[in-house]
Amino acid sequence: MKYRKLVTIVEETTREGGRDVDPVARIAIVAAIFDNPWAGQGFVEDLNAGIDAVASDLGALLAPKVIEALGAPLEAYGKAAIVGLEGEIEHGSALIHTLKFGNHFRDAAQATTLLPAVEKRGPAGVHFDIPLKHFTDATIRSHHQSIEVSIPDAPHPGEIIIALAAATGGRPQQRLAALSTEL
Amino acid sequence: MTTTPLAATTVVDLSTRSTLGGYDDIAAAIGLRKISTFSEEIPHAEGDSILRATSTAVIANPWKGTGTDFELAPEAERIAPLLSKLLTDRLLDVLGGAGKVEAFGKAALIGAGGEIEHAGALIHTPYFGNLMREALEGTSILCFADGFGQPGESLRIPMWHKTAPATRSHYQTIEIFLSDAPNAAEIAVVAAASTGPRPHARIGDRNTDIPVTSEILKEITL
Repeated sequence: MKYRKLVTIVEETTREGGRDVDPVARIAIVAAIFDNPWAGQGFVEDLNAGIDAVASDLGALLAPKVIEALGAPLEAYGKAAIVGLEGEIEHGSALIHTLKFGNHFRDAAQATTLLPAVEKRGPAGVHFDIPLKHFTDATIRSHHQSIEVSIPDAPHPGEIIIALAAATGGRPQQRLAALSTEL
Repeated sequence: MTTTPLAATTVVDLSTRSTLGGYDDIAAAIGLRKISTFSEEIPHAEGDSILRATSTAVIANPWKGTGTDFELAPEAERIAPLLSKLLTDRLLDVLGGAGKVEAFGKAALIGAGGEIEHAGALIHTPYFGNLMREALEGTSILCFADGFGQPGESLRIPMWHKTAPATRSHYQTIEIFLSDAPNAAEIAVVAAASTGPRPHARIGDRNTDIPVTSEILKEITL
């Protein structure tokens, strides 16, 4: 998998709402920045060739790295596809919304739920929020959260950022009633 | 008005302890809200990838509400070594050890309710700088950025060679982004390092430059 750069971000939150967070809440993001496989080809009707060339390798690259960066058992996860200005959002979606991509992360994390995602087009440095949900039960409300990311010089117009995010738990100081209490 | 320093109740030896996990005691002692560690790997066709990283701690401003006559040294001497330890432990972890580090830099961002001198107090004394230099096995003075910061802003941090600061190939900057820091009563402190020079550095060096003075302005070709 050829990429221009690979970015890793780890956030450790020790206080929230004026109280200690115990244990420390960790979120890790790993993002690959690489050439859009459909750059310069105009409207490509069938995206499968590009998906086959990239999606599985990308998932295999990112999944172990984000789990290693998290450094503790994973409880929530999500993904992102951010397309440079000359591409289509569909290009990013094509790379992340396939089992070829997602199963690498699901298997590595022993997860069972669908990965929540953000898909967006923007200039280099664009801010994007990656949604995360619980890794085995997407209705667990405590784990609904998002993490904001900006990569200073990416994506270039002909590039795509694909990112995975992982969290060790739910929101710091989460204290909302469970969904089941409202049903 | 004065603040009440958080009392140090126990003496611990941090010289050999990793702070990557189980650092609640340090976090409490310095009013730590979060640490954000950013790293990037830039593949290089003819050799090892270049790794660049920043680690940023966001803490409560220990001088909140104090005036310009307030003595900063006691809190700076208490807090800065802990910040240096937390941040350099993370840089060394993601960069692969001090032996890999070639360039470094530092920064402090002060929240809107603080004083620029508060930011300086945490990075511009030996209690931060000497410890960071020692941890990364450098000898150069540390280049830096400091200033007021709003949450959501980006900050660009300069780095240069850790033992030969005039080495032109290693002049570089790295940008950090903090979505929700520093708040008005917070300070963000950053340590930055790189395992290499700029990618494809090729603008010579002071050792190879010919002498250049304003004499050249007398014969400019347009």
